[in-house]
Amino acid sequence: MSSPLARFDPRRRAALTAVADLLIPSGDGMPSASEAGVAGRWLDEVLRLRPDFGHPLAAVLDGLKGADPAAALERLRSADPAGFGVLAEVVAGGYFLNPKVRAAINYPGQQSVAIVTEQPPDYEQDGLIASVIGRGPIYRPTPGRKRDR
Amino acid sequence: MLIVGAGASGAVAAKRLAEEGFDVVCLEQGGWPDYKKARAPFPDYELTSGRDWAWDPNARNVPADYPVDDSESDITALMWNGVGGGTVVFAAHWQRNMPSDFQVRSLDGIADDWPFTYEDLEPYYVRAERDWGVSGLAGDTAFPGGEGPPMPPVPLGRMGRRVARAHNDLGWHWWPGPNAIATQKYGRLNPCTQRATCLWGCSEGAKASVDRTYWPVAVERGVTLVTGARVKRLMMGPDGLVTGALYVDRDGQEHVQEAAVTILACNGIGTPRLLLLSATNVQPEGLGNSSGLLGKRLMMHPFGTVVGLFDDDLDSWQGAWGQHIHSLEFYETDTSRGFVRGAKWGLQPTGGPLSMTHSYPWGEENAIWGPGFHQQLRKRLGRSAMWGIIAEDLPEESNRVVLDPVKKDNSGIPAARIQYRMSENSRRLMAFHQDRAKESLEAAGAYETVIAPFIRATGWHLLGTAMMGSDPSRSVVDAWGRVHDVPNLYIFDGSTWPTSAGMNPTATIAAVALRGVDHLIAERRNARTPS
Repeated sequence: MSSPLARFDPRRRAALTAVADLLIPSGDGMPSASEAGVAGRWLDEVLRLRPDFGHPLAAVLDGLKGADPAAALERLRSADPAGFGVLAEVVAGGYFLNPKVRAAINYPGQQSVAIVTEQPPDYEQDGLIASVIGRGPIYRPTPGRKRDR
Repeated sequence: MLIVGAGASGAVAAKRLAEEGFDVVCLEQGGWPDYKKARAPFPDYELTSGRDWAWDPNARNVPADYPVDDSESDITALMWNGVGGGTVVFAAHWQRNMPSDFQVRSLDGIADDWPFTYEDLEPYYVRAERDWGVSGLAGDTAFPGGEGPPMPPVPLGRMGRRVARAHNDLGWHWWPGPNAIATQKYGRLNPCTQRATCLWGCSEGAKASVDRTYWPVAVERGVTLVTGARVKRLMMGPDGLVTGALYVDRDGQEHVQEAAVTILACNGIGTPRLLLLSATNVQPEGLGNSSGLLGKRLMMHPFGTVVGLFDDDLDSWQGAWGQHIHSLEFYETDTSRGFVRGAKWGLQPTGGPLSMTHSYPWGEENAIWGPGFHQQLRKRLGRSAMWGIIAEDLPEESNRVVLDPVKKDNSGIPAARIQYRMSENSRRLMAFHQDRAKESLEAAGAYETVIAPFIRATGWHLLGTAMMGSDPSRSVVDAWGRVHDVPNLYIFDGSTWPTSAGMNPTATIAAVALRGVDHLIAERRNARTPS
């Protein structure tokens, strides 16, 4: 069985470039999808991480061949939402793997942030929890029992 | 003692029985979770989480899974078949049920009361919270007083503080979120590092999934945990008692595990499936099914999400996920709303950049693609918060689990099929709660809100298919989880719930299992066992 990468010859990569830039165009100081490398280096990386995307992505790109990319993309979206979902995940997934893109959107990844217990705790500050307590209990007690507060 | 299933209730039973010196074997069809695949610290985390930690067994499709045909269901059943069960991928919202949840017939005139009260279960909640490692704050005004969890709550965070203030202005309930997440070093758990990746395998060892908390202790105490062991059927003796189980290993070899007592802990689909598979000439409609209720009354909690967009940076890809705060303001029945029962809300992070592009929760009508992509991304990433809404669905006999007449798992055992339709009560309840959650976020300063579209893949909670009760003609198990028709067979998972409450169910599954296993131990001398 061929590796997922082997399926993506220059023709398929060109087809991906055409539709990827419709999904993520350049603007607001940000590169387009193809400028960020989603049909090149980052496609390779996405397929290494998600080889399960290889077959469906190839099928989607082959279905776009020869058509006007914008019209083909719209058709795909309405006729094959699952195929569109794979295409979108590959494009956006590759885009956000690019460290320059991550830096530009100020996203450092899921950071390790130790829990620091403030004194007083955050829920006590500015009378936050006191306000809830002041409103009293809101539950219905078990029949035959009284609210205990 | 034989336990089938190494999820929450199986773990609680195994550890407790081992503490009392019983000889315990647990058969689990999956393996141990591989936390090397928990990629939270790495750039590929969002891309790979759906590959290795998918919740839908039909999508994940690993050998440990069995197919669940959901073509006749409004909701897809989600589960994790392996050591730890659903706790491996649960959000760890640790919600006790409220007193009214046990008295729905008495208070609201619908469905059925549970055969015990909140007060009966309260000591077991307290014990379970210490055993699991739960964080939170005592004194929640939505519950009777009493002891709270052993660790302080996760931080409210910027979004939690904002919404808490808004609820105070509205006069609505909120409380720091109770979570099965360690906020300090606690036994085998590390303190949470707020990476907000709890649902895709906790890379930090901070989430109290039972593969990390209970099972290592149970195994150290002598429990034999057999992984890759798929039970084909339970075996019955001539005296009407269960004698153990026939199971298949990973190589397809069949084995018999005998036991004096058998406990099922396979979730609300796996348990009725196994009992239906175990039908005999004497019990041809499935073991324990003289009431005809086995597999019926499936409840899965319709789920809603409402997102708010804020001007401020809320750090909303970080934090426990988990819930920062919860609200039970609209939990209790108010018939003027046009429905009965209610829902719990949990305030949660919204994820990293890839999550901002998904159709859930953002909706196809708000699709991010095209010229507005970068602007939309800036609006959403780090500046959004969402309420997750757990809606109580009522038990209906037409919502059920049956054996699939066609599909089989990879051991050749008939698959499960679920038939589930969302009721009008559920639809009205959800619409009301979504509207109130929108108001909550607007009051907190959201300049825009999104009510997420309904999607099917939200059936995390599988409940009700082997109902407990005191009348054997109207229930499958008694108040202690013992099957009425088979006195040495017990069910400790969420199958036994008479009604679903509107809460994440793990806290109550754990407490009910603990109560049941304590009773089993206390009554052991009087129990009938196979000759």
